Order: sequence, then structure tokens, then C-alpha cells
Amino acid sequence: MGLYLNYYAFGLPSFLVLVIALYLLFTGSGEAFNVGRFLEESSPYMWASTGIGLCIGFSVLGAGWGIFITGASILGGGVRAPRIRTKNLISVIFCEVVAIYGVIMGIVYSSKLTAVDESQLYTRENYFTGFALFWGGLTVGLCNMLCGVSVGITGSTAAISDAADPALFVKILIVEVFGSILGLFGLIVGLLMVARAPEFTAASSAA
Amino acid sequence: MSTCPPYAPFFGFAGVASSMIFSTVGAAYGTSKAGIGIAGLGQFRPELIMKSLIPVVMSGIIAVYGLVVSVLIAGSLDASQDYSLFAGFIHLGAGLSCGLTGLAAGYAIGIVGDSCVRAYVRESRIFVAMVLILIFAEVLGLYGLIVALIMNTRATEVNCS
Repeated sequence: MGLYLNYYAFGLPSFLVLVIALYLLFTGSGEAFNVGRFLEESSPYMWASTGIGLCIGFSVLGAGWGIFITGASILGGGVRAPRIRTKNLISVIFCEVVAIYGVIMGIVYSSKLTAVDESQLYTRENYFTGFALFWGGLTVGLCNMLCGVSVGITGSTAAISDAADPALFVKILIVEVFGSILGLFGLIVGLLMVARAPEFTAASSAA
Repeated sequence: MSTCPPYAPFFGFAGVASSMIFSTVGAAYGTSKAGIGIAGLGQFRPELIMKSLIPVVMSGIIAVYGLVVSVLIAGSLDASQDYSLFAGFIHLGAGLSCGLTGLAAGYAIGIVGDSCVRAYVRESRIFVAMVLILIFAEVLGLYGLIVALIMNTRATEVNCS
């Protein structure tokens, strides 16, 4: 990682946005930079589908990341202490559960995606559902990703502690349980966000 | 420019998401970092593990702060009811306030917990100092929660005309 990675990662997009905004402002078309109009004109399906994709994507990313972190330590510690192999698969299962949460939420969110004709799509309720699915999916995905990494790191330390002293495993497992509740919280918030979001419906004929 | 445009829930949901996501970053960092220290402590003094779980519990509390604010904001988002842009921005601010302070608190709890439990192996009088420092770190998240709650009470002040 270069010394200037954060500058590039955060500075460059901010600089580009600033340049575009100032260009529009100074060439007399400042009204074109309109966040509200962008949100009104973009399709709710775009928001909803992006949210569902990020939900499952980030969840599985976190699960995989956690599994390889803990798996590497289990395999390494298992060379000198083969007895740790089976018991420490619990850590791998904790990480896998995070991916299952992502799948469940992906399925629950997908049930809201019903086909509506483009001319009748842009209703207040459909905007609401689109935004709810986007932010809900992002919440579930990122919380699960962080949970997976946290459980992976803690599972790795549990495996190495187990290799040193078998009595330590259950105590370090407590820390892992605290890590895994983070994914559960993300799941709860994701469910609450879309609980009152209606599925996509066509505009009523009176409108 | 209406008071209750249809894109107002975008910002409300952004508040819910930022509250939960950022506090989870802090809680995950705190849990993992302190957990590494606790495993290290367990190698030498296994009887001290239970007392050393305090940083991990406090990181969990940071996640609960984020959960509380998320649930509170999500409770006032309803497709069938009016939702003003004012409420949307208030909820975004409340979510950011709770989330980013939770991030800071979680980071502090993690680093303090890690180094203090490593010191606890050698010197048992460190424990009281560790708890005091952790309380000060935890209270940062509490401040964010308080500001978020205060902001949230103002959200219904503007009605759709």
C-alpha cells in the first residue's frame, strides 16, 4: 500500500466532483447539478437491485475473508497440535453464518421486486421501496462483512490459543460470540428498514 | 421545490445505514483488537481472562448504541405517511452523529483494551486504570447517542403543506 493511497482514494473523487460542480457553476449551468433531480430521475429498480447485489456481495466477502483468516491459523496450528482441527471448525461455521444472513436478506429483498411498466413506475411508494432496499442491502452487507472479518481474526487467535492450551478455547470463544452478534444486528436493521416498504406497484389509474 | 419531495426517504435511510454501519466498524475493531490481547493474556494467566473481557463487552455496547438509533430512525420511515426533506436531513445527521462517534469509541476501546490487557498480565493493579480509561472511551459513543436522540425528537416539526 503506497504512502499516498488514502489521498488517491478519497482525494481524487472529491476533487473530480468539485471540478465538475465548479465548471457547471461558472459556465452558467449551475442548475444542472441537482441532487434531487438525479434521485427523482434514476430508476427505483437501479437502487433496489444495487442494494440486493451489495447485500449478498459484501456478506459473502466478509464470510470468505473471515474463513481464510481463521483457516490459515487452524491449519498452521494444526501442524504441531493436530487435536485443534475439529474443534476450531466452529470459528469457520461462525463466519459461514454471516454469508447465510446475506443470502436470507437477498431472498427477502428480492420478493419486493415486481415488474412495473416504466410509465407507471415513478410513484412515491416505489421511490421509498427503492431507497429502502438500497440502504438496507448496504447495511446488511457491510455489517456482515465487518462481522465476518472480526470473527475471523478472533477465531484465528482462538485456534492459536487452543494449540497452546486446550482450556483456553472456550474462553476465547466468548469473544467470538460478541463478534458474531454484529451480523445479527445488521440483519435486524435490514429487516426493519424494508418491513414497511411496499413491493413495486404500478401507479393507480386515477393519477 | 416542495417540502416533502419523494426522494426525502433517501436521506432518512442513509441515516439508518450510517448509524448501523459506522458503529459496527467501531465495534468490530474493538472486539478484534481487544480479543487479540485477551488471547495473548490467556497464554500466561488464564485465570484473568474473564475480567479482561470488559473491552469486548464495551465494544458490543457501542454496536447496541448504533442499533438503538437505527431502529428509532427506521421507525419513523413509512411509505404511507408524509416525510419531509427536513426530517430526512435530521435523520441523516442523527445517524452520522451516532455512527461516527461509535466508530471513534470503538477504535479507542480496541487499542486501549489491547494494550491494557497485555499490561494486566504483568501488573494486576493496572485493572482499575484500564476500566477508567475504557469508560471514558465508551462515553464518546454515548455522547453521539444523546445528540442523535435529541436531533430525532425535532424531526416531526415540519409538516407537508
